[in-house]
Amino acid sequence: MIWFAKRIGLSLLLVWMVATMAFAAIHVVPGDPAEIMLSEGGFAPDPSTVRALRKELGLDKPILTQYGNWLHGVARGDLGAALTDGVPVSDVIAQRLPRTLELILAATVFAALLGLPLGTLAAVYRGSVLDRTLNAFAALFDGMPVFVLATVLIFVLARQLRWVSTGGYVPFATDPIDHFKLLALPTIAVGLGLGAVVLRMTRAAVLDTLMRDYVRTARSKGAGPLRILVHHVLRNALMPVVTVLALHMGAMLGGTVLTELVFNWPGISSMMIDAVNSRDYPVVVGTLFTIATLFVLLNLAVDLIYGFLDPRVRN
Amino acid sequence: MRRFPWWAAGFLTLLILIAALVPWLGLHDPYAIATNRQFAPPTWDHPLGLDELGRDVLSRLLWGSRTSLSIALASATVGLIVGSLLGMLGGFLRSFVEPIILRATDALLCFPPVLLSLLVVTLCGVGFSTLIPLMGFIFMPGFIRVAYSSVLTVRSQDYVEAMRVLGAAWPRIIAGAILPNIAGPLLVQFSLAVSAAITLEAGLSFIGLGVAPPTPTWGGMIGAGRNVVVQAPLHLLWPCLALTLTIISVNMFCDGLRDVLDPQSRPARAARRSSSGPAPMAAPSPGLLVQGLSVEIATDRGTIMPVKDISFAVAPGRTLALVGESGSGKSLTGLALTGLLPTNAVVSSGAAWLDGTELLHQEEAKARKLRGKSVAMVFQDPASSLNPVQRIGAQIGEMLRLHDPADAGPVSPRVVRLLERVGIPDPARRARAYPHELSGGMRQRVMIAMAIANNPRLIIADEPTTALDVTIQAQILELLAELQREHDLALIFITHSLPVVAEIADTVAVMYAGELVEYGAVDQVFARPLHPYTRALLASAATDDGAPPAGIPGQVPAFTALPPGCRFATRCPNRQEVCETTAPSLREVVPGRETRCLRWKELA
Repeated sequence: MIWFAKRIGLSLLLVWMVATMAFAAIHVVPGDPAEIMLSEGGFAPDPSTVRALRKELGLDKPILTQYGNWLHGVARGDLGAALTDGVPVSDVIAQRLPRTLELILAATVFAALLGLPLGTLAAVYRGSVLDRTLNAFAALFDGMPVFVLATVLIFVLARQLRWVSTGGYVPFATDPIDHFKLLALPTIAVGLGLGAVVLRMTRAAVLDTLMRDYVRTARSKGAGPLRILVHHVLRNALMPVVTVLALHMGAMLGGTVLTELVFNWPGISSMMIDAVNSRDYPVVVGTLFTIATLFVLLNLAVDLIYGFLDPRVRN
Repeated sequence: MRRFPWWAAGFLTLLILIAALVPWLGLHDPYAIATNRQFAPPTWDHPLGLDELGRDVLSRLLWGSRTSLSIALASATVGLIVGSLLGMLGGFLRSFVEPIILRATDALLCFPPVLLSLLVVTLCGVGFSTLIPLMGFIFMPGFIRVAYSSVLTVRSQDYVEAMRVLGAAWPRIIAGAILPNIAGPLLVQFSLAVSAAITLEAGLSFIGLGVAPPTPTWGGMIGAGRNVVVQAPLHLLWPCLALTLTIISVNMFCDGLRDVLDPQSRPARAARRSSSGPAPMAAPSPGLLVQGLSVEIATDRGTIMPVKDISFAVAPGRTLALVGESGSGKSLTGLALTGLLPTNAVVSSGAAWLDGTELLHQEEAKARKLRGKSVAMVFQDPASSLNPVQRIGAQIGEMLRLHDPADAGPVSPRVVRLLERVGIPDPARRARAYPHELSGGMRQRVMIAMAIANNPRLIIADEPTTALDVTIQAQILELLAELQREHDLALIFITHSLPVVAEIADTVAVMYAGELVEYGAVDQVFARPLHPYTRALLASAATDDGAPPAGIPGQVPAFTALPPGCRFATRCPNRQEVCETTAPSLREVVPGRETRCLRWKELA
């Protein structure tokens, strides 16, 4: 029980630090945020407009008061309002976030379906032509930046072969089939890179497990290779891989920016880019904070689940 | 073994040379616009053609490498310097600086790099002066962690403690002891950061938030190429190729570096799986007969033979003890008999028969039917030898099911009976337990239950009591002896503990450096050893508690550097010149007694 409380407490501390960093980000840079937000193409903005914005954002108050207000707002789920249209930032995020999460989830499933079996194959036939081929592909997709892969995929699959459209978004409620058609390409683009990582982790984990004493015991019983793999190796090897995969989902929260842009997928990242381009600072900071917090919570969830499953972790 | 990726190193060297020398390569001006010659096809003068503004593509590509590498190297260097300093600080000032630095690192790692970059670029604008400190900051946590953990490891080591006691100042300790030790991990982290920096810069430039146009960048070229992909697909291909090849090379180089710095991570080489030589004629005697068994292992430094020309026999109902120090080859002998040698080892010659059935030259499918049925093993460490995620009942049941004839009855009552037989209380309930819920002694009883499940003819027990408490050891030995009588089993007991041998074995085979050095009935060998090594073992056994014999000076020689004469000569108190030149053979000197000592008669 103490372990769980400790773990949760540590995560809360981390969320507070994340909130502080997000707040600090705007204040540690030299220059006046309001002025930066209003300056366009190097022209100095009108001083009265700057003053008005400073007042609106509360930038004229003492820094500690601003900090207090920010934390207070965060605690109530209030991240301020967007400068461009005055919509609450939390509402915008609530609208965009599910789309990003859907993309991440689809890519993770794709990566797992690809990487787990192929990684196992590579480990079982280590040193073979198959193993080397798979490793080469893993190195390629792991090294290829996602926007390059996305661009290539669009060029080959959409423009040359005309199998899919180049990008866009249709809500599930409007047309489920078109929705998934449009989801396919960004899923593959993100999932191939992640799948390469999963393949390598799986291969290493299976190889490691194959050398364990209990696998030798299974061989001493006269069990065949397939039975050993299915009954003794996979369950032990894949647990940690799946855990790391879950943690990777957290890291992907901010990793889909370029993919969303290339495929016109209106998730949280493309909103972030729009906000950056229009210098909508509350949206940028609010989004950043939300994603970092989600990352903390995902880590916490994985930790807690592990704690429930394996009593040894708690010590 | 994976070889060092020289091609990656070569490609990177070439790339760095190009990036450094690009102004003097006589290329076209990468900024010179020729609006009347947009997308001009390749010519001798412009090998890759001209782009959408009529600029030379090759020139922009090579200048792009300069942009990409300079930003990546500069920001990784910033991260390296600041990060390793902070990490070392955290490692040394553990009271209050450490938690601050570590928690801040954790928090920083929660922000996705691309999003953090977007925020900073909004505030500070695009360009080199923003990107280098920003990316240095983003890659800092990696360096902090590496430096911090290295300092913790190093500072607890003896020689650092010694330096401190001798009054060395911290700066000297850092320069003398810590930097050499963390240089390797930091170098690996540095190449990881370079790879990540190249990707991040390209991504930001791709969306126009990295290095601003018209500066040539690969990311920018890909972004521009995307818009004209229909007219000129090659303009997309070149920068994609350059970027991807560069990143893969850095990654490969990084993997190679890690292998070099951490040789343990290299996978072992697999041996050819062929047992050479035909199986000798079958010997129809009951029990186990081993003749001339040798095992070879392929290592980086040539082939070694850790088991050489071993012969012995074990009749049903009898126990043979295989005795020797670690590295004497006794465990490999046991594994060879069951066909469980590690992948880099192979039986190179010899044969073994169990009740007339040859064991070493079987096809894998037939060998599998013998394993667990006729021959069973009990391993040293029951904690690691049981599958941690399966109930023990299922693990014993698997043994039964694998060898059951089709008409065998239900498995679970038999599992309970077996658990009961090996003395596990409340067996029906314990069958549902996981290994970690049992004590060490109970786990070994489970292993024994598994071994006897199919009424085998031979059990090979490899140090089955070494991992257990002394009181439990006696109980396990007694159980094994009881079961042996009950089933008329041949038992091979592998151990380095002579008191255990005296208690359980009929015959003893003493192994040294892969060879049998003495063989005979236990009471005779113990009363009158005929080899100096056996004598030394017995002399040191008075204090034996599982530790290697303390009374014998020196160490077992390495298999790559065996002495030309008697293998024990280097440590033998009775050594003479002849021992160092002549390799003795194992001879039957008294009926039922064999020794490998040249001077046994004088010494007896």
